[in-house]
Amino acid sequence: MKNYANHIKVFGFLSLLLLVIPLQAQESPKLTDPEIASVAVVANQIDIDFAKIALQKSKNKEVQDFANRMIEDHTAVIEQAVALVTKLKVTPIDNAVSQSLLKQAEDTKVNLEKAKKNDFDKYYVDNEVAYHKQVIGAVNDLLIPETKNQELKELLETVVPALETHLGHAQMLQNKLTSKK
Amino acid sequence: MKPFLKHYHFQTVILVSIILLWGFGLKENTTQEPQVHTVEIIKMKFVPQNLIVKKGDKVIWINKDFILHDVTDEKNDKWTSKPFGKNESWSKVITQDEAYFCSLHKVMKGTIKIES
Ligand SMILES: [Cu+2]
Repeated sequence: MKNYANHIKVFGFLSLLLLVIPLQAQESPKLTDPEIASVAVVANQIDIDFAKIALQKSKNKEVQDFANRMIEDHTAVIEQAVALVTKLKVTPIDNAVSQSLLKQAEDTKVNLEKAKKNDFDKYYVDNEVAYHKQVIGAVNDLLIPETKNQELKELLETVVPALETHLGHAQMLQNKLTSKK
Repeated sequence: MKPFLKHYHFQTVILVSIILLWGFGLKENTTQEPQVHTVEIIKMKFVPQNLIVKKGDKVIWINKDFILHDVTDEKNDKWTSKPFGKNESWSKVITQDEAYFCSLHKVMKGTIKIES
């Protein structure tokens, strides 16, 4: 029952995001490069925060390794982004997309904290699959097309394969956790 | 005159044979000298992903990503480079077929085959 509820939550989370991002792409004024930089940093920071909760709550070595990987890789991406905006003398600017990502992340964090020990791994990994899919979609369909600065565009294009690798890794874990049950 | 010429010819044949054999040997030596192959790790992929080498050749992996990667024996974990960062490299002499991966990002894989 609990598992089922978790699935509903993940599904709800995913469909909400799938709705919100295209809506914003259509309705909001185009994002400026400083806003895009902000979305990039926020999206990476969110996954680091999820991973930190996983390190506290999971007892599974593979899940912990994955969480450590997320922290290291997403930190590396943020460092690249910060180095670039510093070089370009651009300050990331908060915006509707950053804020909606953060808002949803807050809800997810509450659910991660609440998840029972036995359900945690599955819940975390399912969320990682959904979150990486969502961010890949946002970077490809929203951020890259709207970025004007060539270097920022190239950085985003470099980040997509990393996100896809993380997605593949998360799906691998998801299969393992599912077959274990 | 005749015996001398015969003798002279004999010497020439020997000399030419030695030179030819020597040259051939040298040539053989250069083709057998171990070669160095480069695999770039770029955008989360090993490029080229599948490599064919001669036994004893060296493979150098260069990380072009700003994300840490490693090169690790995929099946038995017999050898690993340990993680290395941007523009750093690691090399290994290849003595048998290898299937390897990045143990940090387990979906990144590559193979090396010894040319038969
Ligand atoms: Cu890697």
